Amino acid sequence: MLRTERLRACYGLFQALFDVNIRVGPSEVVALIGSNGAGKSTLFRSIVGSVRVSPRSVWLDDVAVGGETERRQLNRGVVLVPEGRQLFPSLSVLENLQLAARNGRRGQWTIERLFDELSVLRPLSKRPATSLSGGQQQLVAIGRALVTNPSYLLCDEVSLGLSPLAVTDVYSLLKKASADGTAIVLVEQNVNRALSESDRFYCLQKGRVMLEGESAAADRAKVAQAYFGV
Amino acid sequence: MSEPAVLSVQRNGGDTKPWRFALPIALVGVVVVLAFLPWYADFATQRLLVEVFTLFAIAFAWNLLAGYGGMVAIGQHVFVGIGSYSLFAISDTFHLNPWLVLPIATLCTATAALIFAGPMFRLSGAYFAVGTWVLAEMTRIAALNTGWLGAGAGMPLEMIGEFDRWSRNAYVYWAALVVGVGSFAIGAVVLRSRLGLALMSVRDSEAAALACGVPATRARLALWVIAAAMTGTAGAVSYMSTLQVTPDASFSLNWTASAIFIVVLGGIGTIEGPVIGTAVYFALRETFADFGAWYFIGLGTLAVATMIVAPGGAWSLLSRYANIDPFGIRRRMPDDP
Amino acid sequence: MAIACETLIDGLLLGALYALFGLGLSISLGVMRMINIAHGDFIVVGAYLTSLTMQSAGVQPLTSLVVVVPAMFILGWLLQRLLLNYVVGGSMFAPLLVTFGLSVIIQNLLQETFTADTRSLQAGDIARRGFEVGSISIGILPLLSAGVAVLLFALTHLLLARTHFGRQSRAVADDPATARLIGVDDRNFFAIVTGFVFAVIAIASVLYAMRTPFSPSAGPERLLYSFEAVVLGGLGSLWGTLAGGLVIGVAQLFGARISSGLGPFFGHLIFLLLLLARPNGFFNRQAR
Repeated sequence: MLRTERLRACYGLFQALFDVNIRVGPSEVVALIGSNGAGKSTLFRSIVGSVRVSPRSVWLDDVAVGGETERRQLNRGVVLVPEGRQLFPSLSVLENLQLAARNGRRGQWTIERLFDELSVLRPLSKRPATSLSGGQQQLVAIGRALVTNPSYLLCDEVSLGLSPLAVTDVYSLLKKASADGTAIVLVEQNVNRALSESDRFYCLQKGRVMLEGESAAADRAKVAQAYFGV
Repeated sequence: MSEPAVLSVQRNGGDTKPWRFALPIALVGVVVVLAFLPWYADFATQRLLVEVFTLFAIAFAWNLLAGYGGMVAIGQHVFVGIGSYSLFAISDTFHLNPWLVLPIATLCTATAALIFAGPMFRLSGAYFAVGTWVLAEMTRIAALNTGWLGAGAGMPLEMIGEFDRWSRNAYVYWAALVVGVGSFAIGAVVLRSRLGLALMSVRDSEAAALACGVPATRARLALWVIAAAMTGTAGAVSYMSTLQVTPDASFSLNWTASAIFIVVLGGIGTIEGPVIGTAVYFALRETFADFGAWYFIGLGTLAVATMIVAPGGAWSLLSRYANIDPFGIRRRMPDDP
Repeated sequence: MAIACETLIDGLLLGALYALFGLGLSISLGVMRMINIAHGDFIVVGAYLTSLTMQSAGVQPLTSLVVVVPAMFILGWLLQRLLLNYVVGGSMFAPLLVTFGLSVIIQNLLQETFTADTRSLQAGDIARRGFEVGSISIGILPLLSAGVAVLLFALTHLLLARTHFGRQSRAVADDPATARLIGVDDRNFFAIVTGFVFAVIAIASVLYAMRTPFSPSAGPERLLYSFEAVVLGGLGSLWGTLAGGLVIGVAQLFGARISSGLGPFFGHLIFLLLLLARPNGFFNRQAR
């Protein structure tokens, strides 16, 4: 179980998160919704170690892991797919994957398996990673996180700027990961998509959790209210 | 939803009434006392103060460039050499009173700065830093190999022989006092002006400043020329005191190294920093210079330690305990209603 | 004509050594975005270390590499781990000013330990020998140095292209924040990179000391030549640094032909002029 307890995060003098409590069980799919600037990315970055937070604000299986480095969190199985894909332009597709695989944990997800699942990528493996289409890059970015064999995969805006077909490919890859037992936390601007793909959801606004619940039973009116703060 | 308040920005010194009168009076008093120094102090003290004021001006200029302009210039000493050589060369060639030539030396340095800006402003950050150093080296070698500038042996200041010893020392001292106080005054005025506001906005976030229409490059260029002029004038006065200018001395990295130590120890990017830094630097020098190389090792270690432990220097430590901004440079937002 | 050819060849051979000076700087600039102002001073440290090793063990300069290279690797590793890691990635000032202070400390420490006198390594026969090609004479040592330099560039290229360490280096050079996300442990990794840089410095320093007398204050000049090679070549380009070094070497030696004291001056002048023409260097691959 990955959870945050009264998580506060600041950028210099600006406080971005106020006493945020969320929890993600093993194998769950949880959606984070909210408008821009609500704090979703900050929440991810706080969990994964890019933003310094107090040790007792992030718990993994009842161990306080807040404020640790990204490397440590990776070793514990908490991995972030950052917004905007952020593949390394100086590395090929294969090299991007090799780098992550070598640094990550052993497990079911190997580079070979990734190429089996995503056969469109195999012939592109030697190409510079950023020369691929947006959808293909997103698949590589998720794959890069998957080959570290995470227990908790945090996905920040993975459908942004992609064609509907590419989005479908991305979500079927996530489903495969989920089927293997990886918990997934999604940040998704498209509220309908977020709710249909997740078990539970949290709605953030201005750094606070405004609403949470089961996705299937979500009241759209309430969600809109929490989303826009009206 | 409530109406947003109209934002207003005040100068920090605006509402601290007691400071407003005490500080300027105190400063004027100090300057007056210093001005009368040639009548009550010996030549050695005057010489030392000439060193203090000129090095302060150079450090102050370096601080303006680095702390407010974001330009770390390791080769700033090029202007010390150009300023002093201009003074000596023009004074010697045209047999002019050196003090009358001083403004011309300032002008020469400013012109050189404008020319150097061409290649130098193509670089930024660390590349600019080392690029200015290349420039300084190049100029040093050029001076070293120029016959009519005296090559390695340098040049004497011939016209200074026209003055008696007391006058010579006094006039150089007063020139140094003007350079020191003047640099500080000019710096304070610049930083409180629109140029200062432009520079500070660029320092905080260049992209945002450009988006607001701040002419970043022109602001930097203006600062570069001002700092160069200060440095050149200070260098010229300094060599008026030593009476001989040589390439290895006037184009020596030691000028910039001392400036850097002063600014780092005192507090980079603050107007008070160089003042404290100069005081600390000379206190250390007068006490420990006999230790030779160990003195420099100590100084270097102190600078490294300061950058790591207290990057804001001595002034940041002081001002943490008292929220003071005596010269009204900083601006702050009024408290929320 | 023969003189021009000989100057050109000598310039290229000297330039290859300058390129080797610049190789370390290029790597630390690319991966850690940091200029070590004390870079040249560490070249001089390597030279003194070699001299000490030769004196105490009675060996040839090239043999002393066995000691000097690992020693310098460890020195670089410790320097990064204990000092420079605290200033990487923050403001631009801190690394510049800290390494500037370090430069002053090192020069004065060397002066205290070894006096300000210049010294040279007894390189033996190899420093004097040469051979003729037509009417042009070429020294063995410069040729060897150039060969080693090119070899090291090739090895570094392979290291960057084929190994995990190389992939991490390229990734960190591209995007340090995302590199952390996929498990690059900054502190340790940077220490290894600096160790590697210092190992390269060690080899460069031995080759340098075998052909030129050195003193505690010789560091800054080495830094300036390294810097010029890297900037001319274009940031982020390994082979660009080699090209940049060659240009500086040739410029200096042709300058010295025109007037004997003006060699370095012409190197600096060519650097500034070329910079005006191509501010990003000739093979720039990195967006600054």
